[in-house]
Amino acid sequence: MIRYIAFRLLAAVPTLILISALVFFIIQLPPGNYFDTYVAELQAQGETVDPNKIEYLKHEYGFDKPVVEQYAIWVWDMLHGDFGYSFEYEMPVTQVVGSRLYMTILVSMVTIIFTWLIAFPIGIYSATHQYSWGDYGLTFLGLLGLAIPNFLLALVLMYLANIWFGTSIGHLMDAKYLGQPMSWDKFKSIAEHMVIPVVVIGTSGTAGMIRRLRANLLDELQKQYVVTARAKGVPPLRALLKYPLRMALNFFIADIGGILPSVISGAEVVAIVLSLETTGPLLIRALQSQDMYLAGSFLMFLATLTIIGVLISDIALALLDPRIRLQVRQTR
Amino acid sequence: MKRPLEQFQQKCAAVLRPELRQNKEIEHFRDSEKNGNALSLSRRDLLRLAGTACLLPALPLPALAAEEPDDIAKAVTDNKLPPLAERLPQKPRIVDMAPLGKKEGLYGGSMRMIMASADDIRMMTVYSYARLVVFDKDLNLAPDILDHLDIEEGRRFTLHLRPGHKWSDGHPFTSEDFRYFWEDVALNRKLSRGGPVQAMLADGKPPAFEALDEVTVRYTWEKPNPSFLPSLAGANPNYIFMPAHYLKQFHKRYADPDKLKQLVKEQKARNWAALHTVKARQYKAENPDLPTLEPWRNTISPPAERFIFKRNPYFHRIDKSGRQLPYIGTVFVDISSADIIPAKTGAGESDLQARYLRFDNYTFLKQAEKTHPIKIDLWREGTGSQVAFLPNLNVNDAVWRKVLRDVRFRRALSLAIYRHELNQQFYFGLAHEAANTVLDSSPLYKKSYDEAWSSYDPEKANALLDEMGLKRAADGMRRLPDGRLAEIIVELRANSQEEEDVMELVQDYWHEVGLKAYPRTLQLDVLRRRFLAGDTLISMWSGLTVGEATADMSPEELAPVSSAQGNWPKWGEHTETGGKAGEPVDLPEAKQLLDLYETWRISETTDQRRKIWEQMLEIFTDQVFTIGTVNGVFQPVVYNRKLRNLPEKGVYAFSPGAYFGMYMVDSFWYDNGKGSK
Repeated sequence: MIRYIAFRLLAAVPTLILISALVFFIIQLPPGNYFDTYVAELQAQGETVDPNKIEYLKHEYGFDKPVVEQYAIWVWDMLHGDFGYSFEYEMPVTQVVGSRLYMTILVSMVTIIFTWLIAFPIGIYSATHQYSWGDYGLTFLGLLGLAIPNFLLALVLMYLANIWFGTSIGHLMDAKYLGQPMSWDKFKSIAEHMVIPVVVIGTSGTAGMIRRLRANLLDELQKQYVVTARAKGVPPLRALLKYPLRMALNFFIADIGGILPSVISGAEVVAIVLSLETTGPLLIRALQSQDMYLAGSFLMFLATLTIIGVLISDIALALLDPRIRLQVRQTR
Repeated sequence: MKRPLEQFQQKCAAVLRPELRQNKEIEHFRDSEKNGNALSLSRRDLLRLAGTACLLPALPLPALAAEEPDDIAKAVTDNKLPPLAERLPQKPRIVDMAPLGKKEGLYGGSMRMIMASADDIRMMTVYSYARLVVFDKDLNLAPDILDHLDIEEGRRFTLHLRPGHKWSDGHPFTSEDFRYFWEDVALNRKLSRGGPVQAMLADGKPPAFEALDEVTVRYTWEKPNPSFLPSLAGANPNYIFMPAHYLKQFHKRYADPDKLKQLVKEQKARNWAALHTVKARQYKAENPDLPTLEPWRNTISPPAERFIFKRNPYFHRIDKSGRQLPYIGTVFVDISSADIIPAKTGAGESDLQARYLRFDNYTFLKQAEKTHPIKIDLWREGTGSQVAFLPNLNVNDAVWRKVLRDVRFRRALSLAIYRHELNQQFYFGLAHEAANTVLDSSPLYKKSYDEAWSSYDPEKANALLDEMGLKRAADGMRRLPDGRLAEIIVELRANSQEEEDVMELVQDYWHEVGLKAYPRTLQLDVLRRRFLAGDTLISMWSGLTVGEATADMSPEELAPVSSAQGNWPKWGEHTETGGKAGEPVDLPEAKQLLDLYETWRISETTDQRRKIWEQMLEIFTDQVFTIGTVNGVFQPVVYNRKLRNLPEKGVYAFSPGAYFGMYMVDSFWYDNGKGSK
């Protein structure tokens, strides 16, 4: 087991190097750079920029060096915990991302829990009542959530919430609580504003989860041991929860690999539509304006989390499911 | 007879729009002596600016009002702030509201605005518009932060500060702040890599600086420097002072080396120069510790979703009753995404908003007026054409180049466009259908410019194209002289819904006359690079920025002078670089425009200039160097219904108006003293 973990950790190094190179060069691919974009945008609005100042900035940020050298500097600094500098915000990347991290994690966690709360009972019900009206009806609802574009649902809900409940448009709280210390009122405002993103992001995720849980559980329910358990008179609920459900949960643990990065990044599109103070819009904006250290470092962060997440879920699977452990030994 | 307000608006838009023109602006003032009170900067005159400006009539200093805003009054009682008389300069600027069409107001309330990025907090500096000198309502330069100034021979400027004027932290504002900026920042190679900004150079040379005493500084150039004063009054001003007492702690020359090293490390800056630059940003007021002279100071450091600007208790303007401005104590700048700003504005979440609102939001906002305590007015945009097509006369493709340079082709393209339908379709018929030229409110306006090849006449267009020998093939589409299909790729800016919409219809119009057109959206900077390289056939852009031009403004947009001009970028580059790059102008009509422009630059009287402008406009529109669509489009301005002193009609322009800046946001007030809450 230890050898396995060590091997996986070692294998992560070339993966990360590859990702970092890809990220860096793809961000650089479009012609021009942040400052060209910036100047063009200002001029389009009738403002002017002192060309001297732009030259100065380009030099200051090393734009006059070859790309490979820029890349090397970036990677080297990153290894030392310096994630670079955001041009747009004109401050270190860690500060820019850090300020939004808590809200992102909060929204993501609540969304994930919401998804589980909805998807689990429905999945189990669908599997145990296969091809019933309930199965079809609930699955339909889940698929509906998946099929409606998130941004559309978000816009409609946002408008209705404003008309019916007077909830202010967008954001995670009323403007007056921004930057204020936490209070009961602020908490209520956050809770009020969180409903829409959680519902919107959640509904899109439930369908997949319902279907997977249903499929896995159906496989298990037809197996001999379930039949035996029933024959021996184990109560139905216990006969469901004790073994088949646990067996069907493997996919769930395998999902951790994907959950970890998504907790940090949030749902970008919905966050932009709703103007949430999460990291998603930050990343998109950074990519658009070629704010390359902000975008690059953030993507690297996500990549690292994905690798760690996958590793964790692999280890957890091996720990939790003896069959996987045994298989590994057999193949060896 | 036009109402004074309208005349005012026309003038605002007319004079000195883009900062590009700074070099020639002063000439305008020389000739505006007919205005009587205008600032005339003639070579020999020695002129005292105080008193000439209409904002500063020789008023006796009013008795200071006993009344102060609650928070300030409390701070004074708690001995945290000195009383008003000690906070104000000895001679504060007294704003007489009545001649400005304003009323004196009440203290209180807060104002919310929505911006799309943290970078946008610079708009607060634009809106608050406290400058050494400012453009007043008649677009004359008037002292604001300065008490007065003397100008000799257009090259020696002596600036007199207001004695007792203080920074927002209470520290005196003196000539030391000017000296610090000039000697320790502008001339410091580490801090100003490229040296002083263009406006501080006359004939490429910097001025000699002298601090005559505590409140007097002098800049002397060898040659006249007409761009100096207008640059000080810019929406994005040329700052020639910095709060020395605060910034010295970041400057290598003054700070204790160990302490500075530690500061640099704490702030994760690259070096002291980077730290100083970040801490000293005045235009983008992101450093809450940086003292300011503006009416409000930022109290929140980024990144944040809400910036809170609080009243500067040392602000130098008072009204005639002795109340210190601004009336409104707090301004909230909320950061949202640009896409939901119209929706938020319509939900009454902004108290003053024009940025990120577009004319097509009008119906929604008008509807919202019924349900929310907001009001919407329509101001005018000052561009010569909302959307214009720029045929690239420097395109690489030799066949196309020949076709595009043929005036018949450009005229045909223009005649084929059904402007009336565009107007009905996208602007509710409220815009003005015209070629790309000056607006009807400009004194230079002539109907013939508007109508030059801008009527809808597909038959004539077809005739012109036939005459050129662009024959239609069996499929009804025209062929180029070398037999290729005449396909026009029109390049437009990404994210401009308006241009895409217009293009959709124009595609059909051009199809009618046998020309296939395809839109292609590109990022701004890419587009710019492409047309300069000669890859672009036709690009879409907005029209002349000097829609409300006067003869005294530079006609440079009508002549090939800059590589940023999409219709003749290589010729422009040639002029711009003095022949080092680009191509010399080789089309007689364009050359004529260039010659006229050069004549304008050495012209002496407004009359001469008007004649030059007229000739240029005549050639420019008759030759259809750019194809205009409609102009005079409205800009929605939404504000809290209780907000007072904001004019109903205005011109929305960055320069010289500073958007709301020229209308003095510090004079706005709520008639219930509270605002929305």
